[in-house]
Amino acid sequence: MQSTILHISHAQCQKGGEPLFAPVDLVLQPGEMAVVAGNNGSGKTTLLEAVAGLGSFCQGGIHFAPDNNRDSWLQHSHYIGHSLGNKASLTCLENLHFAATINGIRTNEQQLSDGLAQVGLHGYEYHYANDLSAGQKKRLSLSRLLLLNKTFWLLDEPFVNLDQTGCDWLFDCISKHISQGGAALLTAHDNKRIHQQADHFIQLQRP
Amino acid sequence: MNKIVKFYHEMGSPPSFYRITGHWLKPLLILALLLTVYGLIDGLFFAPPDYQQGDSYRIMFVHVPAAWMSMFIYFIIGVSGIIAFVWRMKVAEAVMMASAPIGALFTALTLLTGMLWGKPMWGTYWDWDARMTSELILLFLYIGVMGIYSAYDDDPRKAARLAALVAIIGLINLPIIRYSVEWWTSIHQGASISIMGGNSGIKEWSMLRPLLVMALATKFYYLYSMLHRARSYLLRTEQNKSWVSKQFIEN
Amino acid sequence: MRFWILLQRDVLVAWRKKSNIYQPLVFQLLIVTMFPLGLGAGAQTLQKIAPAVVWILALISTLITLENIFKDDYEDGSLALYTLSGMSLPVAVIAKAAAHWLTTGLPVIIFAPVIAVLLHLPASAYGILMLSLLIATPIFSLLGTVGSALIMNLKNGGMLLSVLIMPLLAPVLIFGAGAVLETTLGNTPVGHITLLAGCFVLSLTLAPLAAAAAIKVNLE
Repeated sequence: MQSTILHISHAQCQKGGEPLFAPVDLVLQPGEMAVVAGNNGSGKTTLLEAVAGLGSFCQGGIHFAPDNNRDSWLQHSHYIGHSLGNKASLTCLENLHFAATINGIRTNEQQLSDGLAQVGLHGYEYHYANDLSAGQKKRLSLSRLLLLNKTFWLLDEPFVNLDQTGCDWLFDCISKHISQGGAALLTAHDNKRIHQQADHFIQLQRP
Repeated sequence: MNKIVKFYHEMGSPPSFYRITGHWLKPLLILALLLTVYGLIDGLFFAPPDYQQGDSYRIMFVHVPAAWMSMFIYFIIGVSGIIAFVWRMKVAEAVMMASAPIGALFTALTLLTGMLWGKPMWGTYWDWDARMTSELILLFLYIGVMGIYSAYDDDPRKAARLAALVAIIGLINLPIIRYSVEWWTSIHQGASISIMGGNSGIKEWSMLRPLLVMALATKFYYLYSMLHRARSYLLRTEQNKSWVSKQFIEN
Repeated sequence: MRFWILLQRDVLVAWRKKSNIYQPLVFQLLIVTMFPLGLGAGAQTLQKIAPAVVWILALISTLITLENIFKDDYEDGSLALYTLSGMSLPVAVIAKAAAHWLTTGLPVIIFAPVIAVLLHLPASAYGILMLSLLIATPIFSLLGTVGSALIMNLKNGGMLLSVLIMPLLAPVLIFGAGAVLETTLGNTPVGHITLLAGCFVLSLTLAPLAAAAAIKVNLE
């Protein structure tokens, strides 16, 4: 992978004209994991959305090296939020196919079902996303991460809704991604294991 | 020149806007009241009766200035909407949102007085003529701007930006509505009765004078009311800023 | 390219939930039944109001479907998926509008003659009715994206949406229903149709920009 660095410098997000949290600084390189923690309403999601490019900062912002432009950053990152991005009335396969093609990746059906098998959804190819359990829906959205193969993973509370095996599996997934030169920025408000594992730990403070 | 630039920059910052306009409120209110009283007395008692409409035309001294204001204020909203959207200027947001209810009231007043005037003139309260129809649609535009703002009441900044967008869309749309409605009435009903004979009916200075005085009075009233509302809008949206708490300690 | 992918997905989603497609048509049928019941079934009375009623029904039945254009995508998070794909937002808006037109506008056009028959619309006006709807229904979808984008994260935005886009639709209604009416009266509808086409060009250029701006503000 090409060497890329994400700088978040003195970044603040606002809601209703008021800053949500004290300025955040972070330098995230491939091979590193950063965890954002904070109480409910402290702005974890808002921060992550802004980093992903969905929202905006009221102060500071992100700088992406080597090419600091939106397109290059979007090409190297993938964001999965609270709402997972699956269409309820499409099958798992169709959901994954849409995610791949809209991101400019050509795939065949075999690759897609392999992708689903990787997250433990083998045999669910033709099930509607609506019929999956909460944990399976999460797995479906995570299968996008593996298929799109972007360097920076931006995950909002990825461990919520997953059972113990699911958590273990996701933990291994993220560790593997990082050991292969990926990077992850995730929010997790109480997950000791991931907090210990993190290279950077950001506790959001009141401004 | 430098003074004007400096003034412009000062008006762009909420605290100085608040401070400067504070001095204007009283004179504006007094002017508005005096002119209204004078204009109404002049219009209702001293202006000569119309040779066709008799005394019933006198409602014009309220109706016409209100109609002018209803369009003028939407224009102000559109322009401050553009400023608010492009430059994210808070004072422009305040001016826009402060103007909207006043404009809506003037529009409603125009419609109401128009209906009252229509009864003796046309024998009906409502006629779908071009002016009344576009005035009614103008009322919808006002309701839209206020509606989108109040729908996003949890985030005033976002609400104001969306309202600004709605106002800009409305500003583009207004001439299209105006044109299409005029075209529509000209086809469906023949030329509609023009109440004022196209404004040119008034040739006498004694009729024109109260009309102009009332037009000025509504402008001053608008300025007073708008600034008053804009100031409280700024206090509300900036309540956590230090300049606001300072205001309250000083008073 | 991404335009087609998004368009395809939206059509597929609408196809899976077929009620979205036939509900507006059932709605039209219900309302049109009320006219003779309320007005009396005299063919002459119905004939007189037919141009306007067919048109207003097409408009209202589209209006009730607009709310969800962006709301669904916002709620299930797939809006983030395509806005972060590097796709140009106005292009995405046009794709959404096109999909909406294919799944709502097109059925409404095809169904319009049925409504027209029920209201005794004169035979001479069918061609212009179809033509005017063909130009106008894409305008509904395009302007609809603006309204839908403005209210996409509101719980009950339907009423507000109607208020927001009624002034935008008023000229379209004037030109469209006017074209049909003129034809029934034996006049030429060319002027109306030309102006309607003008409305289409204007909304095709401005609506995607306005909707994209609204989405951006809403995501901030």
